[in-house]
Amino acid sequence: MKSLDAQTSETDLVARLKAGDEDAAHEFFDRYAARIRRFIANSLGAAADEADDILQETFIALADALPFFRGDSSLFTFACAIAHRKVLSLIRTNARRARLMRGASMAEHAGLRDTGADREFNRALAELRPEHREVLLLKYVEEIGVSEIALISGISEHAVESRLARARKALRKALKEE
Amino acid sequence: MDTEKDFAAKIKSAIEPARGVGDRELRNSFATRLRLVAARPDVVPIEFNGERVEVRRGGTLLGAAIKNGVRLMHVCGARTLCATCRVVVESGEDNLTPMRGTEKFSLRWHLSVSPRTRLACQARVNGPVEVESVFPLCGELPNG
Repeated sequence: MKSLDAQTSETDLVARLKAGDEDAAHEFFDRYAARIRRFIANSLGAAADEADDILQETFIALADALPFFRGDSSLFTFACAIAHRKVLSLIRTNARRARLMRGASMAEHAGLRDTGADREFNRALAELRPEHREVLLLKYVEEIGVSEIALISGISEHAVESRLARARKALRKALKEE
Repeated sequence: MDTEKDFAAKIKSAIEPARGVGDRELRNSFATRLRLVAARPDVVPIEFNGERVEVRRGGTLLGAAIKNGVRLMHVCGARTLCATCRVVVESGEDNLTPMRGTEKFSLRWHLSVSPRTRLACQARVNGPVEVESVFPLCGELPNG
Protein backbone atom coordinates (compact mmCIF):
# COMPACT_ATOMS: atom_id res chain seq x y z
CA MET A 1 0.00 0.00 0.00
CA LYS A 2 1.37 3.36 -0.96
CA SER A 3 1.82 5.97 1.71
CA LEU A 4 -0.15 9.21 1.60
CA ASP A 5 3.07 11.14 0.86
CA ALA A 6 3.89 8.91 -2.09
CA GLN A 7 0.36 9.35 -3.44
CA THR A 8 0.55 13.11 -3.04
CA SER A 9 3.92 13.28 -4.75
CA GLU A 10 2.61 11.17 -7.63
CA THR A 11 -0.48 13.40 -7.97
CA ASP A 12 1.82 16.40 -8.01
CA LEU A 13 4.09 14.71 -10.57
CA VAL A 14 1.11 13.95 -12.83
CA ALA A 15 -0.04 17.57 -12.66
CA ARG A 16 3.43 18.80 -13.57
CA LEU A 17 3.76 16.26 -16.39
CA LYS A 18 0.41 17.34 -17.82
CA ALA A 19 1.61 20.93 -17.73
CA GLY A 20 4.67 19.91 -19.79
CA ASP A 21 7.21 20.57 -17.05
CA GLU A 22 10.68 19.47 -18.17
CA ASP A 23 11.99 18.65 -14.68
CA ALA A 24 8.93 16.49 -14.05
CA ALA A 25 9.58 14.62 -17.32
CA HIS A 26 13.17 13.95 -16.26
CA GLU A 27 12.05 12.92 -12.79
CA PHE A 28 9.50 10.50 -14.24
CA PHE A 29 12.08 9.08 -16.64
CA ASP A 30 14.69 8.59 -13.91
CA ARG A 31 12.16 7.03 -11.56
CA TYR A 32 10.41 4.62 -13.92
CA ALA A 33 12.32 4.08 -17.17
CA ALA A 34 14.48 1.25 -15.82
CA ARG A 35 11.49 -0.64 -14.41
CA ILE A 36 9.46 -0.13 -17.59
CA ARG A 37 12.40 -1.37 -19.67
CA ARG A 38 12.73 -4.46 -17.49
CA PHE A 39 9.00 -5.10 -17.84
CA ILE A 40 9.30 -4.79 -21.64
CA ALA A 41 12.37 -7.02 -21.84
CA ASN A 42 10.66 -9.74 -19.81
CA SER A 43 7.38 -9.50 -21.71
CA LEU A 44 9.11 -9.44 -25.06
CA GLY A 45 11.83 -11.96 -24.42
CA ALA A 46 13.65 -10.50 -27.42
CA ALA A 47 17.04 -8.92 -27.97
CA ALA A 48 17.87 -5.87 -25.89
CA ASP A 49 17.81 -3.44 -28.81
CA GLU A 50 14.20 -4.42 -29.54
CA ALA A 51 13.32 -3.70 -25.92
CA ASP A 52 14.94 -0.29 -26.37
CA ASP A 53 12.85 0.37 -29.49
CA ILE A 54 9.67 -0.52 -27.62
CA LEU A 55 10.78 1.63 -24.69
CA GLN A 56 11.18 4.57 -27.04
CA GLU A 57 7.75 4.01 -28.62
CA THR A 58 6.23 3.63 -25.15
CA PHE A 59 7.58 6.96 -23.93
CA ILE A 60 6.38 8.80 -27.03
CA ALA A 61 2.92 7.21 -26.74
CA LEU A 62 2.93 7.97 -23.02
CA ALA A 63 3.56 11.66 -23.66
CA ASP A 64 0.61 11.70 -26.09
CA ALA A 65 -1.65 9.76 -23.71
CA LEU A 66 -0.87 11.62 -20.48
CA PRO A 67 -3.56 14.30 -20.96
CA PHE A 68 -6.10 11.44 -20.79
CA PHE A 69 -4.67 9.89 -17.61
CA ARG A 70 -7.45 10.09 -15.01
CA GLY A 71 -5.52 8.73 -12.05
CA ASP A 72 -7.48 5.44 -11.91
CA SER A 73 -4.20 3.59 -11.47
CA SER A 74 -0.60 4.45 -10.65
CA LEU A 75 1.53 6.14 -13.31
CA PHE A 76 3.72 3.04 -13.52
CA THR A 77 0.66 0.88 -14.26
CA PHE A 78 -0.47 3.35 -16.91
CA ALA A 79 2.96 3.25 -18.56
CA CYS A 80 3.11 -0.56 -18.35
CA ALA A 81 -0.33 -0.83 -19.98
CA ILE A 82 0.99 1.19 -22.94
CA ALA A 83 4.19 -0.87 -23.05
CA HIS A 84 2.12 -4.07 -22.92
CA ARG A 85 0.13 -2.99 -26.00
CA LYS A 86 3.33 -2.05 -27.83
CA VAL A 87 4.81 -5.46 -27.06
CA LEU A 88 1.64 -7.24 -28.23
CA SER A 89 1.61 -5.19 -31.40
CA LEU A 90 5.20 -6.14 -32.16
CA ILE A 91 4.48 -9.80 -31.52
CA ARG A 92 1.37 -9.79 -33.68
CA THR A 93 2.95 -7.98 -36.60
CA ASN A 94 5.96 -10.23 -36.62
CA ALA A 95 5.21 -13.90 -36.17
CA ARG A 96 8.85 -14.78 -36.61
CA ARG A 97 9.67 -12.83 -33.49
CA ALA A 98 6.94 -14.72 -31.67
CA ARG A 99 8.71 -17.97 -32.50
CA LEU A 100 12.04 -16.57 -31.37
CA MET A 101 10.47 -15.69 -28.06
CA ARG A 102 10.19 -19.35 -27.20
CA GLY A 103 13.77 -20.09 -28.26
CA ALA A 104 16.19 -21.87 -26.02
CA SER A 105 18.41 -18.83 -25.62
CA MET A 106 15.75 -16.91 -23.73
CA ALA A 107 17.84 -16.37 -20.62
CA GLU A 108 20.42 -14.25 -22.36
CA HIS A 109 17.75 -11.98 -23.83
CA ALA A 110 14.94 -11.75 -21.35
CA GLY A 111 16.68 -9.96 -18.51
CA LEU A 112 17.00 -13.20 -16.57
CA ARG A 113 20.10 -14.10 -14.64
CA ASP A 114 21.88 -17.10 -16.07
CA THR A 115 24.20 -17.42 -13.12
CA GLY A 116 23.67 -18.13 -9.46
CA ALA A 117 22.70 -21.05 -7.33
CA ASP A 118 19.39 -21.89 -8.94
CA ARG A 119 20.07 -22.28 -12.64
CA GLU A 120 17.23 -24.75 -13.17
CA PHE A 121 14.73 -22.31 -11.74
CA ASN A 122 16.01 -19.51 -13.97
CA ARG A 123 15.89 -21.73 -17.05
CA ALA A 124 12.36 -22.89 -16.23
CA LEU A 125 11.28 -19.27 -15.80
CA ALA A 126 12.89 -18.30 -19.10
CA GLU A 127 11.04 -21.05 -20.93
CA LEU A 128 7.61 -20.02 -19.69
CA ARG A 129 5.14 -18.45 -22.11
CA PRO A 130 5.68 -14.66 -22.25
CA GLU A 131 2.28 -13.84 -20.73
CA HIS A 132 2.99 -16.20 -17.82
CA ARG A 133 6.42 -14.71 -17.23
CA GLU A 134 4.95 -11.21 -17.47
CA VAL A 135 2.27 -11.86 -14.85
CA LEU A 136 4.80 -13.45 -12.47
CA LEU A 137 7.13 -10.46 -12.87
CA LEU A 138 4.35 -7.99 -12.14
CA LYS A 139 3.08 -9.92 -9.14
CA TYR A 140 6.31 -10.97 -7.43
CA VAL A 141 8.98 -8.53 -8.59
CA GLU A 142 7.04 -5.31 -9.12
CA GLU A 143 4.64 -6.36 -6.33
CA ILE A 144 1.62 -4.94 -8.14
CA GLY A 145 -1.89 -5.91 -7.08
CA VAL A 146 -4.21 -8.07 -9.16
CA SER A 147 -6.46 -5.14 -10.09
CA GLU A 148 -3.54 -3.16 -11.54
CA ILE A 149 -2.18 -6.22 -13.37
CA ALA A 150 -5.65 -6.54 -14.90
CA LEU A 151 -5.41 -2.95 -16.15
CA ILE A 152 -1.98 -3.55 -17.66
CA SER A 153 -2.89 -6.81 -19.37
CA GLY A 154 -6.35 -5.69 -20.46
CA ILE A 155 -8.06 -8.68 -18.87
CA SER A 156 -10.37 -9.16 -15.87
CA GLU A 157 -9.09 -9.63 -12.33
CA HIS A 158 -10.46 -13.16 -12.38
CA ALA A 159 -8.50 -13.87 -15.56
CA VAL A 160 -5.34 -12.50 -13.91
CA GLU A 161 -5.78 -14.87 -10.99
CA SER A 162 -6.31 -17.79 -13.37
CA ARG A 163 -3.25 -16.78 -15.37
CA LEU A 164 -1.17 -16.52 -12.21
CA ALA A 165 -2.28 -19.99 -11.14
CA ARG A 166 -1.45 -21.39 -14.58
CA ALA A 167 1.94 -19.65 -14.58
CA ARG A 168 2.84 -21.09 -11.17
CA LYS A 169 1.68 -24.53 -12.28
CA ALA A 170 3.69 -24.32 -15.51
CA LEU A 171 6.78 -23.25 -13.59
CA ARG A 172 6.40 -26.10 -11.09
CA LYS A 173 5.88 -28.58 -13.92
CA ALA A 174 8.97 -27.31 -15.75
CA LEU A 175 11.02 -27.67 -12.56
CA LYS A 176 9.84 -31.25 -12.01
CA GLU A 177 10.79 -32.21 -15.54
CA GLU A 178 14.37 -31.00 -15.12
CA MET B 1 9.41 -23.97 -3.55
CA ASP B 2 7.37 -24.58 -0.41
CA THR B 3 5.59 -21.35 0.32
CA GLU B 4 4.37 -18.34 -1.63
CA LYS B 5 7.13 -16.31 0.06
CA ASP B 6 9.88 -18.69 -1.15
CA PHE B 7 8.33 -18.65 -4.59
CA ALA B 8 8.39 -14.83 -4.71
CA ALA B 9 11.98 -14.76 -3.45
CA LYS B 10 13.13 -17.19 -6.13
CA ILE B 11 11.47 -15.22 -8.90
CA LYS B 12 12.98 -12.00 -7.56
CA SER B 13 16.44 -13.52 -7.54
CA ALA B 14 15.97 -14.88 -11.07
CA ILE B 15 15.05 -11.51 -12.56
CA GLU B 16 17.86 -9.03 -13.01
CA PRO B 17 17.44 -5.80 -11.05
CA ALA B 18 16.20 -2.83 -13.10
CA ARG B 19 19.27 -1.05 -14.40
CA GLY B 20 19.22 2.65 -15.12
CA VAL B 21 18.34 3.63 -18.68
CA GLY B 22 21.15 5.90 -19.82
CA ASP B 23 19.46 7.07 -22.99
CA ARG B 24 19.79 10.86 -22.63
CA GLU B 25 18.27 11.40 -26.06
CA LEU B 26 15.06 9.54 -25.13
CA ARG B 27 14.94 11.34 -21.77
CA ASN B 28 15.10 14.70 -23.53
CA SER B 29 12.75 13.78 -26.38
CA PHE B 30 10.17 12.63 -23.81
CA ALA B 31 10.38 16.04 -22.11
CA THR B 32 10.09 17.83 -25.46
CA ARG B 33 7.10 15.73 -26.51
CA LEU B 34 5.35 16.38 -23.22
CA ARG B 35 5.88 20.12 -23.62
CA LEU B 36 4.43 20.00 -27.15
CA VAL B 37 1.43 17.97 -26.03
CA ALA B 38 0.78 20.34 -23.13
CA ALA B 39 0.90 23.32 -25.51
CA ARG B 40 -1.83 21.88 -27.75
CA PRO B 41 -5.42 22.79 -26.94
CA ASP B 42 -7.47 19.90 -25.55
CA VAL B 43 -10.64 20.83 -27.39
CA VAL B 44 -10.85 20.98 -31.17
CA PRO B 45 -13.69 22.09 -33.44
CA ILE B 46 -15.15 19.65 -35.99
CA GLU B 47 -18.06 19.90 -38.42
CA PHE B 48 -20.52 17.05 -39.03
CA ASN B 49 -22.70 17.68 -42.09
CA GLY B 50 -22.19 21.42 -41.59
CA GLU B 51 -22.98 21.31 -37.88
CA ARG B 52 -20.10 22.63 -35.78
CA VAL B 53 -19.28 20.89 -32.49
CA GLU B 54 -16.34 21.00 -30.10
CA VAL B 55 -14.74 17.72 -29.10
CA ARG B 56 -11.94 16.40 -26.96
CA ARG B 57 -8.67 15.81 -28.79
CA GLY B 58 -7.84 12.13 -29.17
CA GLY B 59 -11.43 10.84 -29.20
CA THR B 60 -13.01 9.12 -32.21
CA LEU B 61 -15.26 10.95 -34.64
CA LEU B 62 -18.10 8.61 -33.68
CA GLY B 63 -17.64 9.27 -29.96
CA ALA B 64 -17.60 13.00 -30.68
CA ALA B 65 -20.80 12.69 -32.74
CA ILE B 66 -22.68 10.73 -30.08
CA LYS B 67 -21.63 13.07 -27.26
CA ASN B 68 -22.83 16.06 -29.27
CA GLY B 69 -26.17 14.58 -30.27
CA VAL B 70 -25.24 13.91 -33.91
CA ARG B 71 -26.95 10.56 -34.50
CA LEU B 72 -24.41 8.90 -36.76
CA MET B 73 -25.33 5.32 -37.65
CA HIS B 74 -23.08 2.61 -36.14
CA VAL B 75 -24.82 -0.74 -36.50
CA CYS B 76 -21.92 -2.97 -35.40
CA GLY B 77 -21.09 -0.92 -32.29
CA ALA B 78 -17.74 0.45 -33.46
CA ARG B 79 -16.20 -2.92 -34.29
CA THR B 80 -15.20 -2.04 -37.88
CA LEU B 81 -17.66 -4.59 -39.26
CA CYS B 82 -20.54 -2.67 -40.83
CA ALA B 83 -18.97 0.59 -42.06
CA THR B 84 -22.32 2.35 -41.57
CA CYS B 85 -20.50 5.08 -39.66
CA ARG B 86 -18.36 5.95 -42.64
CA VAL B 87 -17.84 9.59 -43.43
CA VAL B 88 -16.21 11.56 -46.23
CA VAL B 89 -13.57 13.97 -44.99
CA GLU B 90 -14.11 17.36 -46.62
CA SER B 91 -11.12 19.04 -45.00
CA GLY B 92 -8.49 18.41 -42.33
CA GLU B 93 -7.58 14.84 -43.32
CA ASP B 94 -4.18 15.29 -41.73
CA ASN B 95 -5.83 16.01 -38.41
CA LEU B 96 -7.18 12.46 -38.21
CA THR B 97 -5.09 9.50 -37.05
CA PRO B 98 -3.74 7.32 -39.90
CA MET B 99 -5.88 4.45 -41.15
CA ARG B 100 -5.07 1.09 -39.58
CA GLY B 101 -5.32 -2.36 -41.13
CA THR B 102 -8.75 -3.22 -39.72
CA GLU B 103 -10.26 -0.01 -41.08
CA LYS B 104 -8.74 -0.54 -44.54
CA PHE B 105 -9.97 -4.13 -44.53
CA SER B 106 -13.49 -3.07 -43.61
CA LEU B 107 -13.68 -0.31 -46.23
CA ARG B 108 -12.48 -2.63 -49.01
CA TRP B 109 -15.83 -4.45 -49.02
CA HIS B 110 -18.10 -1.46 -49.43
CA LEU B 111 -19.31 0.58 -52.33
CA SER B 112 -19.27 4.37 -52.41
CA VAL B 113 -15.80 4.49 -50.89
CA SER B 114 -13.48 7.28 -51.95
CA PRO B 115 -9.89 7.90 -50.85
CA ARG B 116 -11.30 10.46 -48.41
CA THR B 117 -13.66 7.96 -46.75
CA ARG B 118 -12.99 7.07 -43.14
CA LEU B 119 -14.75 5.02 -40.48
CA ALA B 120 -15.91 7.44 -37.78
CA CYS B 121 -15.51 4.72 -35.17
CA GLN B 122 -11.78 4.41 -35.92
CA ALA B 123 -10.56 7.87 -36.93
CA ARG B 124 -9.36 9.89 -33.96
CA VAL B 125 -9.34 13.66 -33.97
CA ASN B 126 -6.12 15.63 -33.52
CA GLY B 127 -7.27 18.94 -34.96
CA PRO B 128 -10.07 20.76 -36.82
CA VAL B 129 -11.82 18.62 -39.42
CA GLU B 130 -14.97 18.72 -41.58
CA VAL B 131 -16.84 15.52 -42.44
CA GLU B 132 -20.04 14.47 -44.21
CA SER B 133 -21.76 11.21 -43.27
CA VAL B 134 -22.32 8.75 -46.12
CA PHE B 135 -25.50 7.32 -44.59
CA PRO B 136 -28.37 9.53 -43.39
CA LEU B 137 -28.28 10.35 -39.67
CA CYS B 138 -30.59 8.14 -37.57
CA GLY B 139 -33.13 10.92 -37.00
CA GLU B 140 -33.43 11.48 -40.73
CA LEU B 141 -34.59 7.91 -41.48
CA PRO B 142 -38.34 7.19 -41.83
CA ASN B 143 -38.27 5.03 -38.67
CA GLY B 144 -35.37 6.84 -37.03
